[in-house]
Amino acid sequence: MQTQLERSNLTENEKMEAFLARIDRGEKIEADDWMPDDYRNQLIKLISMHGISEIMGALPEKEWVPKAPTLRRKLAIMAKVQDEMGHGQLLLRVAEDLLAPLGKTREDLMQDLFAKRLKFHNVFHMEAPTWADAGVIGWLVDGAAIITQSMSLDTSYAPYARALHRICAEEKFHAQHGESIVLELAEGTEEQRKMLQEAITRWWPSLLMFFGPPENGTITSNQSTNMRYKIRTQTNEELRQAFLKKYLPRIFHLGFTVPDDTIYFDEAKDQWVYQQPDWEAFKEIVKGNGPRSAHRLNLRETSYTETKWVRDAIMAYGRHVG
Amino acid sequence: MDMNKETEANNNFFIYEVFSQKSVNASFVHQFSLLAPNKEVALAMARENFLRRESCFNIWVVKRDDIYSLSPEERPFLERIDNKSYRETKGYGDLQARWRYHREQYEAKQKQAESGS
Repeated sequence: MQTQLERSNLTENEKMEAFLARIDRGEKIEADDWMPDDYRNQLIKLISMHGISEIMGALPEKEWVPKAPTLRRKLAIMAKVQDEMGHGQLLLRVAEDLLAPLGKTREDLMQDLFAKRLKFHNVFHMEAPTWADAGVIGWLVDGAAIITQSMSLDTSYAPYARALHRICAEEKFHAQHGESIVLELAEGTEEQRKMLQEAITRWWPSLLMFFGPPENGTITSNQSTNMRYKIRTQTNEELRQAFLKKYLPRIFHLGFTVPDDTIYFDEAKDQWVYQQPDWEAFKEIVKGNGPRSAHRLNLRETSYTETKWVRDAIMAYGRHVG
Repeated sequence: MDMNKETEANNNFFIYEVFSQKSVNASFVHQFSLLAPNKEVALAMARENFLRRESCFNIWVVKRDDIYSLSPEERPFLERIDNKSYRETKGYGDLQARWRYHREQYEAKQKQAESGS
Protein backbone atom coordinates (compact mmCIF):
# COMPACT_ATOMS: atom_id res chain seq x y z
CA MET A 1 0.00 0.00 0.00
CA GLN A 2 2.91 2.26 0.79
CA THR A 3 4.12 2.16 -2.83
CA GLN A 4 0.68 3.12 -4.12
CA LEU A 5 0.61 6.18 -1.90
CA GLU A 6 4.08 7.15 -3.03
CA ARG A 7 3.14 6.71 -6.65
CA SER A 8 0.09 8.93 -6.39
CA ASN A 9 2.29 11.66 -4.92
CA LEU A 10 4.50 11.76 -8.01
CA THR A 11 4.27 14.89 -10.12
CA GLU A 12 3.10 14.58 -13.73
CA ASN A 13 6.69 15.04 -14.87
CA GLU A 14 7.93 12.23 -12.66
CA LYS A 15 5.14 9.97 -13.88
CA MET A 16 6.11 10.73 -17.47
CA GLU A 17 9.78 9.99 -16.76
CA ALA A 18 8.92 6.69 -15.11
CA PHE A 19 6.63 5.83 -18.04
CA LEU A 20 9.30 6.54 -20.65
CA ALA A 21 11.83 4.53 -18.63
CA ARG A 22 9.45 1.58 -18.71
CA ILE A 23 9.04 1.93 -22.48
CA ASP A 24 12.81 2.12 -22.91
CA ARG A 25 13.31 -1.02 -20.83
CA GLY A 26 10.94 -2.81 -23.23
CA GLU A 27 8.21 -3.21 -20.63
CA LYS A 28 4.59 -3.31 -21.71
CA ILE A 29 1.79 -1.04 -20.54
CA GLU A 30 -1.54 -2.39 -19.24
CA ALA A 31 -4.97 -0.69 -19.49
CA ASP A 32 -4.95 0.32 -15.79
CA ASP A 33 -1.37 1.68 -15.79
CA TRP A 34 -0.76 5.41 -15.78
CA MET A 35 -0.15 6.62 -19.35
CA PRO A 36 0.31 10.05 -20.94
CA ASP A 37 -2.69 11.43 -22.84
CA ASP A 38 -0.97 11.39 -26.22
CA TYR A 39 -0.09 7.68 -25.75
CA ARG A 40 -3.74 6.90 -25.01
CA ASN A 41 -4.94 9.03 -27.93
CA GLN A 42 -2.54 7.49 -30.44
CA LEU A 43 -3.59 4.00 -29.31
CA ILE A 44 -7.29 4.85 -29.59
CA LYS A 45 -6.77 6.23 -33.08
CA LEU A 46 -4.72 3.25 -34.25
CA ILE A 47 -6.69 0.44 -32.60
CA SER A 48 -10.19 1.75 -33.36
CA MET A 49 -9.14 2.25 -37.00
CA HIS A 50 -7.71 -1.28 -37.06
CA GLY A 51 -10.83 -2.77 -35.42
CA ILE A 52 -13.29 -0.99 -37.69
CA SER A 53 -11.16 -1.96 -40.71
CA GLU A 54 -11.55 -5.63 -39.79
CA ILE A 55 -15.32 -5.21 -39.70
CA MET A 56 -15.53 -3.14 -42.90
CA GLY A 57 -12.99 -5.55 -44.45
CA ALA A 58 -15.40 -8.44 -44.16
CA LEU A 59 -17.85 -6.63 -46.47
CA PRO A 60 -16.05 -6.94 -49.85
CA GLU A 61 -15.48 -10.64 -49.23
CA LYS A 62 -18.94 -11.29 -47.91
CA GLU A 63 -20.20 -10.31 -51.37
CA TRP A 64 -18.54 -13.53 -52.61
CA VAL A 65 -20.03 -15.96 -50.09
CA PRO A 66 -23.19 -16.67 -52.16
CA LYS A 67 -21.17 -16.83 -55.40
CA ALA A 68 -18.19 -18.97 -54.33
CA PRO A 69 -17.44 -21.60 -57.01
CA THR A 70 -17.47 -24.74 -54.80
CA LEU A 71 -18.90 -25.77 -51.44
CA ARG A 72 -15.41 -25.95 -49.93
CA ARG A 73 -14.61 -22.42 -51.13
CA LYS A 74 -17.92 -21.23 -49.73
CA LEU A 75 -17.18 -22.77 -46.32
CA ALA A 76 -13.66 -21.33 -46.34
CA ILE A 77 -14.66 -17.78 -47.29
CA MET A 78 -17.51 -17.85 -44.74
CA ALA A 79 -15.01 -18.98 -42.09
CA LYS A 80 -12.78 -16.08 -43.09
CA VAL A 81 -15.56 -13.48 -42.94
CA GLN A 82 -16.44 -14.82 -39.50
CA ASP A 83 -12.79 -14.59 -38.37
CA GLU A 84 -12.53 -10.96 -39.55
CA MET A 85 -15.61 -10.02 -37.56
CA GLY A 86 -14.05 -11.79 -34.58
CA HIS A 87 -10.85 -9.74 -35.00
CA GLY A 88 -12.98 -6.60 -35.05
CA GLN A 89 -14.59 -7.64 -31.76
CA LEU A 90 -11.18 -8.26 -30.12
CA LEU A 91 -9.82 -4.91 -31.22
CA LEU A 92 -12.94 -2.94 -30.32
CA ARG A 93 -12.73 -4.41 -26.80
CA VAL A 94 -9.14 -3.14 -26.55
CA ALA A 95 -10.22 0.29 -27.84
CA GLU A 96 -13.19 0.45 -25.46
CA ASP A 97 -11.00 -0.10 -22.39
CA LEU A 98 -8.84 2.81 -23.57
CA LEU A 99 -11.92 4.99 -24.22
CA ALA A 100 -13.55 4.26 -20.84
CA PRO A 101 -11.70 6.98 -18.85
CA LEU A 102 -12.85 9.47 -21.52
CA GLY A 103 -16.46 8.42 -20.96
CA LYS A 104 -16.81 6.94 -24.45
CA THR A 105 -18.14 3.57 -25.60
CA ARG A 106 -18.52 1.41 -28.71
CA GLU A 107 -21.61 3.45 -29.60
CA ASP A 108 -19.33 6.51 -30.05
CA LEU A 109 -17.04 4.53 -32.37
CA MET A 110 -19.97 3.40 -34.51
CA GLN A 111 -21.32 6.96 -34.75
CA ASP A 112 -17.81 8.22 -35.65
CA LEU A 113 -17.66 5.62 -38.41
CA PHE A 114 -21.05 6.60 -39.85
CA ALA A 115 -20.09 10.30 -39.74
CA LYS A 116 -16.79 9.43 -41.53
CA ARG A 117 -14.76 10.74 -38.57
CA LEU A 118 -13.38 7.25 -37.93
CA LYS A 119 -11.51 6.04 -41.00
CA PHE A 120 -10.88 2.53 -42.24
CA HIS A 121 -8.23 1.05 -44.55
CA ASN A 122 -8.24 2.29 -48.15
CA VAL A 123 -8.47 -1.26 -49.54
CA PHE A 124 -11.93 -1.81 -48.07
CA HIS A 125 -13.38 1.13 -50.01
CA MET A 126 -12.68 -0.69 -53.29
CA GLU A 127 -14.74 -2.94 -55.55
CA ALA A 128 -14.34 -6.72 -55.71
CA PRO A 129 -16.08 -7.48 -59.02
CA THR A 130 -14.73 -11.02 -59.75
CA TRP A 131 -13.84 -14.23 -57.89
CA ALA A 132 -10.19 -13.42 -58.64
CA ASP A 133 -10.62 -10.27 -56.51
CA ALA A 134 -11.63 -12.51 -53.59
CA GLY A 135 -8.40 -14.44 -54.17
CA VAL A 136 -6.25 -11.32 -54.43
CA ILE A 137 -7.81 -9.90 -51.25
CA GLY A 138 -6.96 -13.10 -49.38
CA TRP A 139 -3.46 -13.38 -50.83
CA LEU A 140 -2.19 -9.81 -51.12
CA VAL A 141 -4.44 -7.62 -48.93
CA ASP A 142 -4.19 -10.12 -46.07
CA GLY A 143 -0.50 -10.52 -46.91
CA ALA A 144 -0.04 -6.75 -46.47
CA ALA A 145 -2.04 -6.84 -43.23
CA ILE A 146 0.10 -9.70 -41.91
CA ILE A 147 3.24 -7.62 -42.51
CA THR A 148 1.83 -4.62 -40.56
CA GLN A 149 0.39 -6.77 -37.78
CA SER A 150 3.51 -8.89 -37.32
CA MET A 151 5.50 -5.70 -36.84
CA SER A 152 2.98 -4.59 -34.21
CA LEU A 153 3.21 -7.87 -32.22
CA ASP A 154 6.00 -6.13 -30.35
CA THR A 155 3.90 -3.08 -29.48
CA SER A 156 4.35 -1.53 -26.04
CA TYR A 157 0.61 -1.74 -25.27
CA ALA A 158 0.07 -5.20 -23.79
CA PRO A 159 -3.68 -5.69 -24.52
CA TYR A 160 -3.08 -4.81 -28.20
CA ALA A 161 -0.13 -7.23 -28.35
CA ARG A 162 -2.26 -10.05 -26.91
CA ALA A 163 -5.06 -9.37 -29.39
CA LEU A 164 -2.57 -9.34 -32.27
CA HIS A 165 -1.12 -12.71 -31.25
CA ARG A 166 -4.56 -14.25 -31.64
CA ILE A 167 -5.23 -12.38 -34.89
CA CYS A 168 -1.92 -13.28 -36.56
CA ALA A 169 -2.45 -16.98 -35.87
CA GLU A 170 -5.70 -16.84 -37.87
CA GLU A 171 -4.33 -14.58 -40.58
CA LYS A 172 -1.95 -17.37 -41.61
CA PHE A 173 -4.94 -19.45 -42.58
CA HIS A 174 -6.46 -16.49 -44.45
CA ALA A 175 -3.33 -15.96 -46.51
CA GLN A 176 -3.20 -19.65 -47.42
CA HIS A 177 -6.87 -19.59 -48.33
CA GLY A 178 -6.10 -16.68 -50.68
CA GLU A 179 -3.00 -18.37 -52.12
CA SER A 180 -5.04 -21.48 -52.80
CA ILE A 181 -7.65 -19.51 -54.79
CA VAL A 182 -4.94 -17.62 -56.68
CA LEU A 183 -2.92 -20.74 -57.56
CA GLU A 184 -6.05 -22.50 -58.78
CA LEU A 185 -6.78 -19.61 -61.15
CA ALA A 186 -3.12 -19.22 -62.18
CA GLU A 187 -2.97 -22.92 -63.10
CA GLY A 188 -6.34 -22.75 -64.86
CA THR A 189 -7.64 -21.74 -68.28
CA GLU A 190 -6.61 -18.66 -70.27
CA GLU A 191 -9.84 -17.01 -69.16
CA GLN A 192 -9.09 -17.67 -65.50
CA ARG A 193 -5.55 -16.33 -65.88
CA LYS A 194 -6.88 -13.22 -67.59
CA MET A 195 -9.35 -12.65 -64.75
CA LEU A 196 -6.54 -12.98 -62.20
CA GLN A 197 -4.23 -10.63 -64.09
CA GLU A 198 -7.01 -8.03 -64.22
CA ALA A 199 -7.58 -8.35 -60.47
CA ILE A 200 -3.83 -7.91 -59.73
CA THR A 201 -3.75 -4.84 -61.99
CA ARG A 202 -6.87 -3.43 -60.37
CA TRP A 203 -5.54 -3.92 -56.80
CA TRP A 204 -1.97 -2.76 -57.40
CA PRO A 205 -2.34 0.96 -56.52
CA SER A 206 -4.51 0.11 -53.48
CA LEU A 207 -1.86 -2.35 -52.25
CA LEU A 208 0.87 0.30 -52.50
CA MET A 209 -1.38 2.79 -50.68
CA PHE A 210 -2.20 0.28 -47.92
CA PHE A 211 0.96 1.14 -45.94
CA GLY A 212 0.38 4.90 -46.12
CA PRO A 213 2.43 7.65 -47.82
CA PRO A 214 6.24 7.32 -47.86
CA GLU A 215 8.17 9.46 -45.41
CA ASN A 216 10.74 10.82 -47.89
CA GLY A 217 13.04 11.54 -44.99
CA THR A 218 10.46 13.48 -42.99
CA ILE A 219 8.55 11.44 -40.46
CA THR A 220 5.17 12.87 -39.46
CA SER A 221 4.58 13.75 -35.81
CA ASN A 222 2.08 10.88 -35.61
CA GLN A 223 4.71 8.41 -36.68
CA SER A 224 7.43 9.77 -34.43
CA THR A 225 5.09 9.69 -31.41
CA ASN A 226 4.22 6.09 -32.23
CA MET A 227 7.86 5.15 -32.57
CA ARG A 228 8.98 6.98 -29.42
CA TYR A 229 6.33 5.08 -27.45
CA LYS A 230 7.16 1.84 -29.30
CA ILE A 231 3.55 1.53 -30.42
CA ARG A 232 5.08 0.63 -33.78
CA THR A 233 8.67 0.03 -34.78
CA GLN A 234 8.81 0.41 -38.57
CA THR A 235 7.96 3.21 -41.00
CA ASN A 236 5.37 3.03 -43.79
CA GLU A 237 8.08 2.65 -46.42
CA GLU A 238 9.91 -0.10 -44.52
CA LEU A 239 6.68 -2.08 -44.34
CA ARG A 240 5.90 -1.49 -48.02
CA GLN A 241 9.39 -2.69 -48.99
CA ALA A 242 8.93 -5.84 -46.88
CA PHE A 243 5.66 -6.46 -48.74
CA LEU A 244 7.20 -5.90 -52.20
CA LYS A 245 10.15 -8.18 -51.40
CA LYS A 246 7.88 -10.99 -50.34
CA TYR A 247 5.15 -10.78 -52.96
CA LEU A 248 6.52 -9.26 -56.19
CA PRO A 249 8.71 -12.30 -57.01
CA ARG A 250 5.71 -14.56 -56.52
CA ILE A 251 3.57 -12.47 -58.88
CA PHE A 252 6.35 -12.78 -61.50
CA HIS A 253 6.82 -16.52 -60.87
CA LEU A 254 3.18 -17.06 -61.81
CA GLY A 255 3.84 -15.20 -65.06
CA PHE A 256 1.82 -12.11 -64.12
CA THR A 257 2.73 -8.42 -64.23
CA VAL A 258 1.99 -5.28 -62.24
CA PRO A 259 0.91 -2.01 -63.94
CA ASP A 260 4.33 -0.36 -63.50
CA ASP A 261 6.67 -0.51 -66.53
CA THR A 262 9.68 0.90 -64.72
CA ILE A 263 9.61 -1.12 -61.51
CA TYR A 264 12.99 -2.69 -60.64
CA PHE A 265 14.95 -4.02 -57.70
CA ASP A 266 17.89 -1.80 -56.73
CA GLU A 267 20.47 -4.32 -55.45
CA ALA A 268 22.74 -1.64 -53.96
CA LYS A 269 19.95 -0.04 -51.95
CA ASP A 270 18.30 -3.41 -51.35
CA GLN A 271 14.88 -2.05 -52.24
CA TRP A 272 12.24 -1.98 -54.97
CA VAL A 273 11.97 1.27 -56.94
CA TYR A 274 8.36 1.77 -58.01
CA GLN A 275 6.03 4.44 -59.38
CA GLN A 276 4.09 6.21 -56.62
CA PRO A 277 0.33 5.74 -56.59
CA ASP A 278 -1.88 8.84 -56.62
CA TRP A 279 -1.63 9.97 -52.98
CA GLU A 280 -4.29 12.66 -53.51
CA ALA A 281 -6.70 9.90 -54.55
CA PHE A 282 -5.66 7.98 -51.41
CA LYS A 283 -6.68 10.92 -49.20
CA GLU A 284 -10.10 11.07 -50.88
CA ILE A 285 -10.63 7.32 -50.55
CA VAL A 286 -9.88 7.15 -46.80
CA LYS A 287 -12.04 10.23 -46.24
CA GLY A 288 -14.90 8.00 -47.34
CA ASN A 289 -15.10 8.97 -51.00
CA GLY A 290 -13.90 5.72 -52.59
CA PRO A 291 -15.84 3.69 -55.19
CA ARG A 292 -17.68 1.53 -52.60
CA SER A 293 -17.38 3.73 -49.46
CA ALA A 294 -20.97 4.99 -49.44
CA HIS A 295 -22.45 1.58 -50.23
CA ARG A 296 -20.56 -0.25 -47.48
CA LEU A 297 -21.04 2.48 -44.87
CA ASN A 298 -24.71 2.45 -45.67
CA LEU A 299 -24.85 -1.34 -45.32
CA ARG A 300 -23.11 -1.13 -41.91
CA GLU A 301 -25.29 1.70 -40.69
CA THR A 302 -28.52 0.08 -41.85
CA SER A 303 -27.58 -3.18 -40.18
CA TYR A 304 -26.70 -1.30 -36.98
CA THR A 305 -29.85 0.83 -36.81
CA GLU A 306 -32.26 -1.89 -37.88
CA THR A 307 -31.02 -4.22 -35.15
CA LYS A 308 -31.11 -1.58 -32.41
CA TRP A 309 -34.45 -2.83 -31.11
CA VAL A 310 -32.92 -6.30 -30.61
CA ARG A 311 -30.10 -4.90 -28.46
CA ASP A 312 -32.57 -2.76 -26.52
CA ALA A 313 -34.90 -5.71 -25.93
CA ILE A 314 -32.04 -7.99 -24.81
CA MET A 315 -30.75 -5.35 -22.40
CA ALA A 316 -34.20 -4.67 -20.94
CA TYR A 317 -34.70 -8.39 -20.38
CA GLY A 318 -31.10 -8.93 -19.16
CA ARG A 319 -31.34 -6.16 -16.57
CA HIS A 320 -34.61 -7.63 -15.39
CA VAL A 321 -33.43 -11.20 -14.79
CA GLY A 322 -29.65 -10.98 -14.73
CA MET B 1 -22.64 -23.08 -9.85
CA ASP B 2 -24.54 -25.32 -7.52
CA MET B 3 -21.33 -26.83 -6.18
CA ASN B 4 -20.89 -23.60 -4.29
CA LYS B 5 -23.87 -24.06 -2.06
CA GLU B 6 -22.36 -26.88 -0.02
CA THR B 7 -19.33 -24.78 0.85
CA GLU B 8 -21.14 -21.66 1.88
CA ALA B 9 -21.80 -23.41 5.15
CA ASN B 10 -18.02 -23.67 5.45
CA ASN B 11 -17.75 -20.82 8.00
CA ASN B 12 -19.24 -18.63 5.27
CA PHE B 13 -15.98 -18.65 3.37
CA PHE B 14 -16.37 -18.38 -0.38
CA ILE B 15 -14.79 -20.43 -3.13
CA TYR B 16 -12.47 -18.47 -5.38
CA GLU B 17 -11.04 -19.77 -8.64
CA VAL B 18 -7.44 -18.68 -9.22
CA PHE B 19 -5.99 -17.72 -12.59
CA SER B 20 -2.43 -16.64 -13.32
CA GLN B 21 -0.55 -15.22 -16.27
CA LYS B 22 3.03 -16.35 -16.81
CA SER B 23 4.19 -13.48 -18.99
CA VAL B 24 2.78 -10.30 -20.51
CA ASN B 25 1.77 -11.98 -23.78
CA ALA B 26 0.44 -15.17 -22.19
CA SER B 27 -3.22 -16.04 -21.62
CA PHE B 28 -4.50 -16.46 -18.09
CA VAL B 29 -4.42 -20.10 -17.00
CA HIS B 30 -6.60 -21.67 -14.35
CA GLN B 31 -4.50 -22.80 -11.36
CA PHE B 32 -6.91 -24.17 -8.79
CA SER B 33 -9.49 -22.99 -6.27
CA LEU B 34 -9.32 -21.93 -2.64
CA LEU B 35 -11.53 -20.84 0.24
CA ALA B 36 -11.32 -17.26 1.46
CA PRO B 37 -13.51 -14.80 3.37
CA ASN B 38 -13.05 -12.03 0.77
CA LYS B 39 -11.25 -11.16 -2.48
CA GLU B 40 -8.24 -9.48 -0.84
CA VAL B 41 -7.47 -12.56 1.24
CA ALA B 42 -8.15 -14.78 -1.77
CA LEU B 43 -5.54 -12.86 -3.77
CA ALA B 44 -2.94 -13.12 -1.02
CA MET B 45 -3.62 -16.82 -0.56
CA ALA B 46 -3.48 -17.45 -4.31
CA ARG B 47 0.18 -16.43 -4.27
CA GLU B 48 0.95 -18.56 -1.23
CA ASN B 49 -0.97 -21.62 -2.39
CA PHE B 50 -0.17 -21.89 -6.06
CA LEU B 51 2.66 -19.57 -7.04
CA ARG B 52 5.40 -20.23 -4.53
CA ARG B 53 7.99 -21.28 -7.14
CA GLU B 54 6.85 -20.37 -10.62
CA SER B 55 7.43 -16.83 -11.72
CA CYS B 56 4.23 -15.02 -12.47
CA PHE B 57 3.23 -11.77 -14.16
CA ASN B 58 -0.35 -11.28 -12.95
CA ILE B 59 -3.06 -13.03 -10.91
CA TRP B 60 -6.85 -12.99 -10.97
CA VAL B 61 -9.21 -14.42 -8.37
CA VAL B 62 -12.85 -14.89 -9.35
CA LYS B 63 -15.64 -15.88 -6.99
CA ARG B 64 -16.98 -19.18 -8.26
CA ASP B 65 -20.52 -17.79 -7.90
CA ASP B 66 -19.69 -15.31 -10.65
CA ILE B 67 -18.63 -17.99 -13.10
CA TYR B 68 -21.42 -19.35 -15.26
CA SER B 69 -20.59 -22.67 -16.83
CA LEU B 70 -21.92 -25.69 -18.72
CA SER B 71 -23.65 -28.46 -16.83
CA PRO B 72 -22.19 -32.00 -17.09
CA GLU B 73 -25.10 -32.90 -19.41
CA GLU B 74 -24.28 -30.04 -21.77
CA ARG B 75 -20.52 -30.60 -21.98
CA PRO B 76 -20.60 -33.52 -24.49
CA PHE B 77 -22.01 -31.09 -27.10
CA LEU B 78 -18.66 -29.32 -27.23
CA GLU B 79 -17.18 -32.26 -29.11
CA ARG B 80 -16.32 -31.43 -32.72
CA ILE B 81 -16.40 -33.58 -35.82
CA ASP B 82 -13.07 -33.38 -37.62
CA ASN B 83 -14.45 -31.84 -40.81
CA LYS B 84 -13.09 -28.30 -40.78
CA SER B 85 -9.85 -28.60 -42.74
CA TYR B 86 -11.01 -25.60 -44.81
CA ARG B 87 -10.60 -23.57 -41.61
CA GLU B 88 -7.08 -24.79 -40.91
CA THR B 89 -3.74 -24.51 -42.60
CA LYS B 90 -3.53 -28.31 -42.77
CA GLY B 91 -6.20 -28.08 -45.48
CA TYR B 92 -3.69 -26.18 -47.63
CA GLY B 93 -0.65 -28.49 -47.42
CA ASP B 94 -0.07 -28.48 -51.18
CA LEU B 95 0.66 -24.76 -51.48
CA GLN B 96 4.42 -24.82 -50.89
CA ALA B 97 5.07 -27.40 -53.58
CA ARG B 98 2.96 -25.41 -56.05
CA TRP B 99 4.83 -22.18 -55.33
CA ARG B 100 8.14 -24.02 -55.74
CA TYR B 101 7.01 -25.42 -59.10
CA HIS B 102 6.11 -21.93 -60.40
CA ARG B 103 9.42 -20.44 -59.20
CA GLU B 104 11.40 -23.20 -60.93
CA GLN B 105 9.43 -22.75 -64.16
CA TYR B 106 10.10 -19.00 -64.02
CA GLU B 107 13.82 -19.44 -63.32
CA ALA B 108 14.19 -22.01 -66.11
CA LYS B 109 12.55 -19.57 -68.56
CA GLN B 110 14.82 -16.75 -67.39
CA LYS B 111 17.87 -18.96 -67.96
CA GLN B 112 16.67 -19.95 -71.42
CA ALA B 113 16.15 -16.31 -72.34
CA GLU B 114 19.64 -15.42 -71.13
CA SER B 115 21.40 -18.24 -73.01
CA GLY B 116 19.31 -17.48 -76.12
CA SER B 117 20.33 -13.82 -76.29
